[in-house]
Amino acid sequence: MNTLDALLLISLLTALASGLGQGHRLIGWITALLFSLQFVAIMVMGSLGYGGAVVEASISLSIFGHPVSWRFDGLSWFFALITIGAALASSIFAAGSWAEDYRKHGGKPGLLQFAIALNVFTMLLLLASGDLLTLFIGWELASWSSLLLMMVAGGKAKNFALRYIVYATGGAMAVLAGLGIIFQLTGSFAYADLAAIAPSLSTLQIVSLSILFVFGFGIKLGLMPFHLWQADAYAETPGPGAAFLGAISSRMALFAIAVVLVQLIGLVKLINIEIPFTFLSFRDLLLWVAALTIIFTTFTALRQNDARRLLAWHGIGQGGYMLIGILLLDPLGSAGGLMHIFNYATYQAALFLAVSAVIYRTKTADLNQLGGLVTRMPLTFLVMLIGIIGLAGIPPMNGFVSKWLIYRSLIVEGMPLLFIATVIGTLGTILSVYKLIHNTFLGQLRLEHEQIREVPWSMLLPMLVLSTVVFVTGFMPGLVLDWVVAAQAALGIPQVAHHLGGIESAHGSLDMIWISGVLFSGFGIGALLFYSGNKTKHVHQLDNYAGGHFLTADTRYHYTNNFYAGLMHYIGSWYRNSFQWLESSLVSVVSLLSGFTQILFHSFHPALFLLITATLSLYFFAG
Amino acid sequence: MNETFLTITEVIMMPIVAFIIGLFMVLMMRKLAARIQRRIGPGVFQPLYDIVKLYGKQTQISHGLIHDIGIIMAVGGYVAAVTLLPVPGMNGIADKGGIITLTYLLMVPSLGLALGVGQCANPNGSIGISRALTSMLAYDIPFIIVIFGVATHFSSTSLVSIIAAQQVGGFGTWGISEMPLLALAGLFALHASLGKHPFEIYVAPAEIATGPMVEMGGKFLGGLFVMQSFQLYAASVLYVSLFLGGGENWVTFLLKCFAVLIIPFAIAYLFPRYRTEDLVRLMWKWPVMLALLGIAFVMN
Repeated sequence: MNTLDALLLISLLTALASGLGQGHRLIGWITALLFSLQFVAIMVMGSLGYGGAVVEASISLSIFGHPVSWRFDGLSWFFALITIGAALASSIFAAGSWAEDYRKHGGKPGLLQFAIALNVFTMLLLLASGDLLTLFIGWELASWSSLLLMMVAGGKAKNFALRYIVYATGGAMAVLAGLGIIFQLTGSFAYADLAAIAPSLSTLQIVSLSILFVFGFGIKLGLMPFHLWQADAYAETPGPGAAFLGAISSRMALFAIAVVLVQLIGLVKLINIEIPFTFLSFRDLLLWVAALTIIFTTFTALRQNDARRLLAWHGIGQGGYMLIGILLLDPLGSAGGLMHIFNYATYQAALFLAVSAVIYRTKTADLNQLGGLVTRMPLTFLVMLIGIIGLAGIPPMNGFVSKWLIYRSLIVEGMPLLFIATVIGTLGTILSVYKLIHNTFLGQLRLEHEQIREVPWSMLLPMLVLSTVVFVTGFMPGLVLDWVVAAQAALGIPQVAHHLGGIESAHGSLDMIWISGVLFSGFGIGALLFYSGNKTKHVHQLDNYAGGHFLTADTRYHYTNNFYAGLMHYIGSWYRNSFQWLESSLVSVVSLLSGFTQILFHSFHPALFLLITATLSLYFFAG
Repeated sequence: MNETFLTITEVIMMPIVAFIIGLFMVLMMRKLAARIQRRIGPGVFQPLYDIVKLYGKQTQISHGLIHDIGIIMAVGGYVAAVTLLPVPGMNGIADKGGIITLTYLLMVPSLGLALGVGQCANPNGSIGISRALTSMLAYDIPFIIVIFGVATHFSSTSLVSIIAAQQVGGFGTWGISEMPLLALAGLFALHASLGKHPFEIYVAPAEIATGPMVEMGGKFLGGLFVMQSFQLYAASVLYVSLFLGGGENWVTFLLKCFAVLIIPFAIAYLFPRYRTEDLVRLMWKWPVMLALLGIAFVMN
């Protein structure tokens, strides 16, 4: 039994234990303990993150004569590390006081732990896939187990989860069709066979394969225009579950896209395929889909009044950065895209947990019903502050480094409009995260929140550890870049030259150790100046006045609603629910097509239908 | 080791220099305003006296720790950011983070100020921050296009090499003569980023009682004065480095830096202010168009 077997076994055990021990009082802590064992196992496999040899699982099966196998390389390890890390943090958060409170309000914390554990196990199976068949099996298992996690809350969440599974099934069909085509062409599901015939594929075949896979996997990523399911489904999942889903679940799509499109089919061919009547290549089209995903979802997030939805919408947009990075294919850009997956997971999990902590104390995530909590929950505030600086991509947190790599690569590749699009996304994010922290923690404290205390340590610990990671990997990005390089090597793309502090290049380097060091020295000087001034008198938080009037605490004057009123005056009319319109038109198109095929097949002429299908497939495979 | 020591010395020196120059820039601004309004204006040391007076005031009202930290971040962020701006003889850490890093580092003080104002729980302050962030969104879009154009033209994001490339052939190789459209768009963005008329909707004294500054007294306001000196310095030095060939020596460098600021100052005191949405509309129209056109030229 090797380390990979051990990891998968422990993961299976975690799912089984949490599934069977539902009613037990300590089940949360047992699951968390088992997750930390998984974390140890992934750490034991650590050499994979530094270019170690591929680890093969000793179990291999044969399905209908097709061998299926599992193995871990640098890329799988990188994703697995994030998955298990996010699960560990969420499960510790969900184990102690949070679980008691959740149970008191009719929830089933055991079920939530089981759903997370099942997700981790299926995701590890997906990440370990050694051929296209196991990839598909893992993909489907992961899809259905995330459905379970989304449904845990019941009620409204069920509807959102069902909406997800409708999208996911559509995606699965597309992936299946893609696999069918590949099987027709190669006669096997092995990675090597696909990679071998990839150079001889015709343009039509490459384009249709890419469309099928990007569509199929992209639905999970929330690529426009198939992003509508994600924010609601994630936001309605109970706190720690949402943290796990938001941090890593939809990133499985990036893993699949990276394996199939980048590693096996090869992106270079997509760059060479021109779209007729435009000046875009096929890859540019994908890049633009990702860029529009960034902009539209970020500005949708800006309008949200529910903290969880705000974060979930940002999650979709951040996926766009990762896809752009990976599609750029040069050492800097792809490193940025891969690194962003790690960075994003750390701060998104921290942010979702911080919001859950606020909900735990106040019972609401409505950004118009909070405020002034910084004095009540200072450590949660700190976690959220570090998280939003990461999410907004401002130094010195890690989110800045990965975005810097992507910006830098877009400049080098000479893509001005995409560069502008990514920066617009970042600026929108800054606006929206300030609204998040302002409406929750700053401003006027509500009277009913006056007695609130900080959350217990079982909840604080995972949040603080995650924010430490956000900070440390921002200070020393080389730690993560080492793993990213191993993942790049596994994908067979050029690797980025880096050092502990960042990137060294003749055309513009980045050294975060110096930058953070100088920034904090600057803060030190700022503090020296500040405290050298005359002594301050602290007034009570509720002792306030505005516009010359003393205000009592029961007058609500916290400025929250329609926070960016001036901006919305200008761009507000651009929203118009066009996404809902888009979704309904998608539904119409699908039902029209299916109705049409039905008429053609059932009542019109089955033979003609078969003839058309046969001709088309002949043309496809022969041409 | 010797190199590290040199860098540290420069990192200590650069903020001091920046602060002194910044004080004179504030002086110039106030003098210019006075002359336009037919007043005499303040004396040479008035900006410094103001800061000392504010730090020494007896009434220092703090609304909590974040209020204090906000001011510390606002000042400290600029202290750090100016070490990324090369001046004659000193490169600081400019080679360790280029213009993209600088652009984002300059957001740290704004974020700090925004946090501090938020803690004050004054709705006027919050409205001011919401407007300030909106105008940041407005002027940063043309600014970032300009950054892209300059970085593409010199095929580098390092200010050190951008300046070196401009100094090769004198005025002919300056950014402004090779990329006039970008320089013009950059000037627009620079003016808006200073938050002076007609782009000072977020201060709007008569309407929201000076917005972000509403709860700032004593050394809090003093901190903002310090921040303003740094802000003027950072904006003008950045512009000089991108378009006016940086500093060959201190005399020409200072001349350029002050000259750059005269344009927005002279315009500022002649105009009333734009409303937020008009500011956004303006910034997303003319400077963006100019900058995109500029990029089209640069990329060909």
